[in-house]
Amino acid sequence: MAVPSRITAIDNCVAIVDSLGTLRTTSLMLLTEEVAVGDYVILGPGGAFASEKVDPEIAAEALAFLTEVLANGQA
Amino acid sequence: MLPLEAGITVTLTIRECMVGGVTLVSTRLPQASRLLAGRTPAEVMVLLPSLFSLCGTAQGLAGLEAMELAAGIVSAPAQRMARRFLLLAETIAEHAMGIIKDWPALLGEEADLAQARPLRPLVTAAKRALYPDGDWSALGGGRLAPDRGALTEILRQVEDMAARLFGGSPEEWLDDYTVFRSWIHRHDGVAARLLSSLEARNLSGFGRSPLLLMPDSGPRDLAERLAADSDGSYCRAPHYCGHVFETNALARLVNHPVMAGLVLEYGNGLASRFAARLIEIATALQEQEDLVQDLCEDSGHGPARSGEGIGLGIVDAARGLLVHRVELEGGTLRDYRILAPTEWNFHPDGPLVRSLKGSPAGTDLEAKARLLAAALDPCVPCRVEIAAHA
Repeated sequence: MAVPSRITAIDNCVAIVDSLGTLRTTSLMLLTEEVAVGDYVILGPGGAFASEKVDPEIAAEALAFLTEVLANGQA
Repeated sequence: MLPLEAGITVTLTIRECMVGGVTLVSTRLPQASRLLAGRTPAEVMVLLPSLFSLCGTAQGLAGLEAMELAAGIVSAPAQRMARRFLLLAETIAEHAMGIIKDWPALLGEEADLAQARPLRPLVTAAKRALYPDGDWSALGGGRLAPDRGALTEILRQVEDMAARLFGGSPEEWLDDYTVFRSWIHRHDGVAARLLSSLEARNLSGFGRSPLLLMPDSGPRDLAERLAADSDGSYCRAPHYCGHVFETNALARLVNHPVMAGLVLEYGNGLASRFAARLIEIATALQEQEDLVQDLCEDSGHGPARSGEGIGLGIVDAARGLLVHRVELEGGTLRDYRILAPTEWNFHPDGPLVRSLKGSPAGTDLEAKARLLAAALDPCVPCRVEIAAHA
C-alpha cells in the first residue's frame, strides 16, 4: 500500500517527506508536476521515488484509512 | 521501510549442490482491504486509486466493476470501452516503467529516469481526454466525452516512447518470432540487450517450470473461494484444486506468435517472462489505436438499482489478474476483499518457487534468482538471500 507523504524539504530534486511520522528521503526525478514543501506525494515501491502528487483532501482520506489499518493490527 | 509498505523476502536453501528449499516471507497486507467496509462505494472509489503505489487505475477499475455489479448498475458499452482504454494505458506505462527504471540494474547499468518521467502523466492525460470532469471512477460511469485530438496526441507520444524503447516500431517484429529474435541481436536498447545477455549467458530458459497459466477469467471457483474466505487464508495463498497459477503478460499472450515461439524454445523461463512485457506494450498500443476509433460519448451515472448485493470485479492488471469482491448492504459496503496477482506469482508453492527449486547452486545463483523475481515483477520490493549452511 502507498502512504501519501508530505514534503517537508526539497533540495535539488531530492525531498524529505513525512510518511505517517517517519521522515524519509525520496527522489522527485519521476515527477513532472511542480511540487513544493507541504504538498503530498505517493512514493513508489521501496520509497526511493515519488511517483505522483496527491490532492491534500484525498491524502487526508487515505492517511485516515491507513491509520485505521495500523490500529487494527493489519500492519 | 514503513510497516504499511510491504515486501517479500525469498530465502534459498542449498542441499546437495542445488536449491533444495525456497522460503517466501511476505509482509503484504491482503486483509487490509476489509477495513474499507462501512464506507459507501463513492467514498471507496475516492480512496482506491491513491492507496496503491502501483496499478492505481486497475485497482480503481476492479473496484468499480465489483461495486456496480453489487448495486445492479449496468455501465454502458461506451464506458466499458473507455475503461479498457485506461487499463491499457496503465499496462503500457507500468511495463515501460519497469523496463526503463529497473532493467538497467539487471545489466549493472544506471537507469535513464528522464525517459520514465512522462509515463504516468500519459495515463492521467488519457483520463482527462476521456472524462473532462475528472469523474472516470464514478459508479455507472462519469461524463464520457472523448477528445479525439488529445487521445491521438497521447497515442503518438506512446508510439514515440515505444519506438525509443524498441529502436523502431514494434510492428516490425510483432508477428514473427524469427524477426523478433533477430531484433534482439540487432538493437542496442536496454530491453533487447537484456534478452541477448540472457541468451549469451545461457539463461534464457532459466526458471523454466511446468506451465500452469491463469485462465482468462480466473480460476473457475474464484467467486466461491473468495466468498468463503472469512479468515483471509485464500487471499494470502490462493490456489485452484491445489494448483497455483502463473498470472502475468506471458499467461495472457501465450498464443501470440512471438510468445508461442519463445515458450516453445524457453518455456516460461526468463526470456519468455521478460519478453512478454515487451510484446504486451506493442499489442496494448495496437488495441488502443483500434479503440480510439470507436470511443463515443455517454452521459454516465446510471442509477443504482439496489443498495444490496454481491459483486466480483476481475481486471487484467499489468502484473496479472486482480480481483475485488464486495458485499453491499443498505448502500454501504459490508465486506471488501482484494486478491492481487503477487499472491499467485509469489505463493509458497507458486511460479517463483517452482522455478527456483532444483536449480544448481553456484556463485551466480543469487543473481539468477534476482532475475527471476524481476521477471515475475512483484508489486512490492523483493529481497533474495541464500541461507547459510547449517
